[in-house]
Amino acid sequence: MAEAPGLPDLSARRSRLLGTGDRRGLILSTTSTVMVLAVLAAIFLLAPGSRAVRTTFFNPTDMWRALVGDPKAGYYSVGEALWLNIRMFVIAEILILILALVVAVVRQSTGPVLLPLRVVGTIYVDVARGVPLILVIFAIGFGVPALQLRGVSSESAAVYGVAALVFSYSAYVSEVYRAGLVSVHRSQVAAARSLGLSGSASMRYVILPQAIRTIIPPLLNDFISLQKDTALVGLLGSIEANKAAELYSDTTFNYSSYTVAAILFLLLTIPLARFTDHLIARDQARRLAGARLWTQRTPAPSPVTRAS
Amino acid sequence: MRQTTVAAVAAIMAASVGLGGCSSSTSSSATTGTSASASAKTAACTFAGVQNELYAKGVLTVATDQPAYPPWFENNNPSNGKGYESAVAYSIANQLGFKASQVKWAYEPFNDSYAPGPKKFDFDINEISYTATRAQVVTFSNSYYDVQQSLVALKSSPIVTKHTPAELKTYVYGDQVGTTSLAFINSDIQPTQTPKIFETLNDVKEALQDKQIAALVTDTPTAQYISSSEIPGSIMVAQFPSTGEHYGLLFAKGNPLVGCVNKALATLKSSGTLAKLTARYLQLYTSVPTIKP
Repeated sequence: MAEAPGLPDLSARRSRLLGTGDRRGLILSTTSTVMVLAVLAAIFLLAPGSRAVRTTFFNPTDMWRALVGDPKAGYYSVGEALWLNIRMFVIAEILILILALVVAVVRQSTGPVLLPLRVVGTIYVDVARGVPLILVIFAIGFGVPALQLRGVSSESAAVYGVAALVFSYSAYVSEVYRAGLVSVHRSQVAAARSLGLSGSASMRYVILPQAIRTIIPPLLNDFISLQKDTALVGLLGSIEANKAAELYSDTTFNYSSYTVAAILFLLLTIPLARFTDHLIARDQARRLAGARLWTQRTPAPSPVTRAS
Repeated sequence: MRQTTVAAVAAIMAASVGLGGCSSSTSSSATTGTSASASAKTAACTFAGVQNELYAKGVLTVATDQPAYPPWFENNNPSNGKGYESAVAYSIANQLGFKASQVKWAYEPFNDSYAPGPKKFDFDINEISYTATRAQVVTFSNSYYDVQQSLVALKSSPIVTKHTPAELKTYVYGDQVGTTSLAFINSDIQPTQTPKIFETLNDVKEALQDKQIAALVTDTPTAQYISSSEIPGSIMVAQFPSTGEHYGLLFAKGNPLVGCVNKALATLKSSGTLAKLTARYLQLYTSVPTIKP
């Protein structure tokens, strides 16, 4: 394993563990881990309904059928349906990043002329965060078409779904942005202004770069959540992964399709989670500019030669 | 150490998958046995005789989903005995020797009705179509209604006049999730655009009114009810020929009570009660034209 700069030096500890002949510790830890897993597996396998649960949720044949789909039998491919989730997520994410930044900057503005905008921003964030996403999806997905407006009312369900996601998530993300903006010390503004930068220029070149660096982890946290919430757009009739899984289970009375959907969503979100970790580690390394991290404390007296 | 753990996890997972794989064959053979004995044991189909087969002693627990739609139920109240399915349930209870007061209604969402584990009801009556695949997981009673699919559209929609098999392929259809209508749309109509699938029938109706779909596909009685009483300006375009589809009561896999219920259904059919209830609640829409998909 290549050591990321932000992680403790595991390789050194491990070699010490083995090198000092502490085999007993290794054997004990392995045995206990295997035993815990074995007990959990035994509880699962020996439960009275275990066979029913395994055939209903983890049947390989059903999982495969759900993955590939068969429209004529009444269900669609969960894998293909996931493509809709991915597209909705990517488009929503871009729009959210822009809209949320605008809202955050407006709410953090200080000019007296901008007061109406600040009020609107505050009301928007309160409303959008307070109303359950599912209700927003219903309101936009059924409400906008009902208006019968030319050009707006005849979009596909996915468009309304993305609009609802953007409406709801931009409020959350604008608060994340705002937290980032607040976290930049006021002296940074003062320094930027003293260099002759205008208010907007100091925001653009001094405040935002620092703020965004701080908020990347919570930002990506929200986006992992967004990836999963694209499943709610299925309520509007479009066939995304969760709806495809539901169709399969309703048609065949077997829930294995949901397991397939869960695995596919995991495959989507886990890389993003690892990417977040990577960004945090890289950012820490950059900020410290070569200085050692507190997490990487090596035994003080020894020379700094790493045995990795 | 990490490798050992990974290997152990892999071994356990492989074992569980292996067990899951072979268990399907054993479970199906086991359940065939129970259903065979269930049909053989139809001697004591009386109030006293079925007590041991009930979910709760002394009452017949019948389940359905919420909202309960007309004309299958009325006023979203299954216990009023009105609506076809409510009336059928009370007629079956009567045949088995239960008084109306001894029938208890349970709320069971369709998506939950086929979950593994013990059921919270004796049988579920919720316009559930019998299919061979579904019957591997649950036990169905014999038919209490033979169903055909129909089209509902707004009167202004082109589908009202243009519905040759070729023209039918060009529309966007809507359907409630989990119905057999979707398989019908995709295998018989074969539209070029993917149908829209909603969570509830009410959502499909809303989509029809908003013109997000050209037509909704549902069973004929529901279609007739929607077009005549629910959506102003809508019309039942036509019904499609029968595909042999029928509604059955849903029981837990191998529930022996199905034997007595089937017997009750046979009596209701031969005595003309089912036909009477059909005429009363579902009417005989002989005037509905049939078109080919």
